Amino acid sequence: MISMSSILSSRSGLILFFLCLVPLATAYLDQGDYLLRICSTAYLYMLLALGLNVVTGFTGLLDLGYVGFYLIGGYTAGLLMARLGWSYWAALPVAAIHGGLWGLLRGAPTLRLTGDYFAIVTFGFSELLFRIVKNEEWLIGGPNGFVNDIPAPTLFGYELWQYWQQYYHILILLILTLLVVYRLHNSRIGRAWQAISQDEEAAQTMGINLHEYKSLAFAISAAIGAIGGAFFAQFQVNISAGVFEFWESILILCMIVLGGIGTLKGALIGAAILGSLGEVLRISLSWMRLPADSRYLIFGAILVMMMRFRPAGILRSTQKSP
Amino acid sequence: MTLFLEQIVNGLVLGGIYALIAVGYTMVYGVIQLINFAHGEIFMFGAYFAFLCLAVLKFPLWLAVLASILLCALMGVVIDLIAYRPLRNAPRLSALITAIGISLILQNLARMIWGAEPRRDLANAKSAFLSQTVIIPGGAQLSYLDLSIIILAILLMVGLNRLISLTRIGKAMRACAQDKMAASLMGIDTNRVIGATFAIGSALGAVAGIMVGMRETIEPTMGYYKGVAAFAAAVLGGIGNITGAMLGGVVLGIAEVLGAGYISSGYRVAISYILMILVIVFRPAGLLGRASAKRA
Repeated sequence: MISMSSILSSRSGLILFFLCLVPLATAYLDQGDYLLRICSTAYLYMLLALGLNVVTGFTGLLDLGYVGFYLIGGYTAGLLMARLGWSYWAALPVAAIHGGLWGLLRGAPTLRLTGDYFAIVTFGFSELLFRIVKNEEWLIGGPNGFVNDIPAPTLFGYELWQYWQQYYHILILLILTLLVVYRLHNSRIGRAWQAISQDEEAAQTMGINLHEYKSLAFAISAAIGAIGGAFFAQFQVNISAGVFEFWESILILCMIVLGGIGTLKGALIGAAILGSLGEVLRISLSWMRLPADSRYLIFGAILVMMMRFRPAGILRSTQKSP
Repeated sequence: MTLFLEQIVNGLVLGGIYALIAVGYTMVYGVIQLINFAHGEIFMFGAYFAFLCLAVLKFPLWLAVLASILLCALMGVVIDLIAYRPLRNAPRLSALITAIGISLILQNLARMIWGAEPRRDLANAKSAFLSQTVIIPGGAQLSYLDLSIIILAILLMVGLNRLISLTRIGKAMRACAQDKMAASLMGIDTNRVIGATFAIGSALGAVAGIMVGMRETIEPTMGYYKGVAAFAAAVLGGIGNITGAMLGGVVLGIAEVLGAGYISSGYRVAISYILMILVIVFRPAGLLGRASAKRA
């Protein structure tokens, strides 16, 4: 149903080529580092949107707490690196596995229930995690979930802390994630997910093990979120609980809704638009003397308008249900 | 012991408020199977409307309360009309995402209009009579306000129960909850019934909003926090079940106050999430729900 061949075709190769050149161009700009930072943030959101899309897009279950895995990844990697002195390259896979395990655990109670219950559990789960990192000082080591001085990763003795290094770092993570998700989407597994999203009972009748395939989606989606969190932890150097509030989940949801739920291209484009728009709005709203939080009003309007007029995303006008 | 009693009383008051909000969630879910995320914001607007009528338009208290209830009922109906009704035949996910969008819009609208800082106007406006306290047997203090909240919540719940079970519109609501298609074949105007459901739920939400405004403060995030807790109460009682929502509200109110008092106040809000998840894991149908939780 989706032609994703473009990802590996020459046009995508060309896009990728230009994305790789961006740091060379920004090196000559006054605000070059700021621009690189916005790009890196947008890539991070694209990665997260791809991860959320695995559950909400492919299997059709609404995840309202995706930020929970972002939090798990961020704190797992952050604490391992800042407190125990682990290397980033060891902390990253551990964070991904940790996230994936929680993805399985979180989904387990809802396997026998319908989508509404899944949405409720995901919401409660992420809010609970938020409360835990906010309150448990013995675990986190600082008030309000504050972890500071998370070291930059090192590669062959070099510390990767500069903006252009971070840019390539997240770009590579994004491309690897995209490859994995793309391959999954076009595999037996991807087709099973698609069948589940269309009609669970029919899928089961055709011999698809619902519990197995749903659990797999939960774990993969969660692991991707945790990878994003691990990158975020070293990118920000300091993290605190406030970043991982409920609205962040909704922002990521908004991205895949904007691009078109269930498509890889949609998730990427939606995240690229909103990931950078968020930054632009934050600045322009303060010019208009409005609180920066009112950008969520615009996100809310996007959700409502998209569902009403373009349920298949901005790219496609066909009336296809998500 | 006095402290314990006072906390139980506090929990009852909070539970009454939760119950009033929770029935709004559960009634809408019962009729159109939608988790109406915007319901918490309607509750919040109820408090702000009352504040607006009282502090800006200088209405007397009773008129401000009445105006707020009517405005909120209207708001619920209008939201259903413009946002949810066009999606009646769309996939469930679409309506759910729309509800989240509406909630975001309303919450941030309130923040833009009235600012983020908590307001005490409603609490200050309550008459001296309501601020008096009475000592109940056992030595606990109870303010007239809390007493009237409990009494009013009970009266409204009994009234709602009578409305659902005895009146024509209540019968139509039950019919719609069972099978909308069959109900409409029997000549029931389902859209009108759904509108009435939104109006009643929103009106009760407004009452709860004013109660919270008088007891605590009004702020744009109150709809989110209290809304989630009330929604947890609805799940606790068995979503779609009105009596369950009332019971769930009271149980949750008491659990929250006791948890905050004896475990940790940092987890006050989290207690509702924990109870909600536990119920879904161990008894998805809720305390009073039907045995089967697998609802299409």
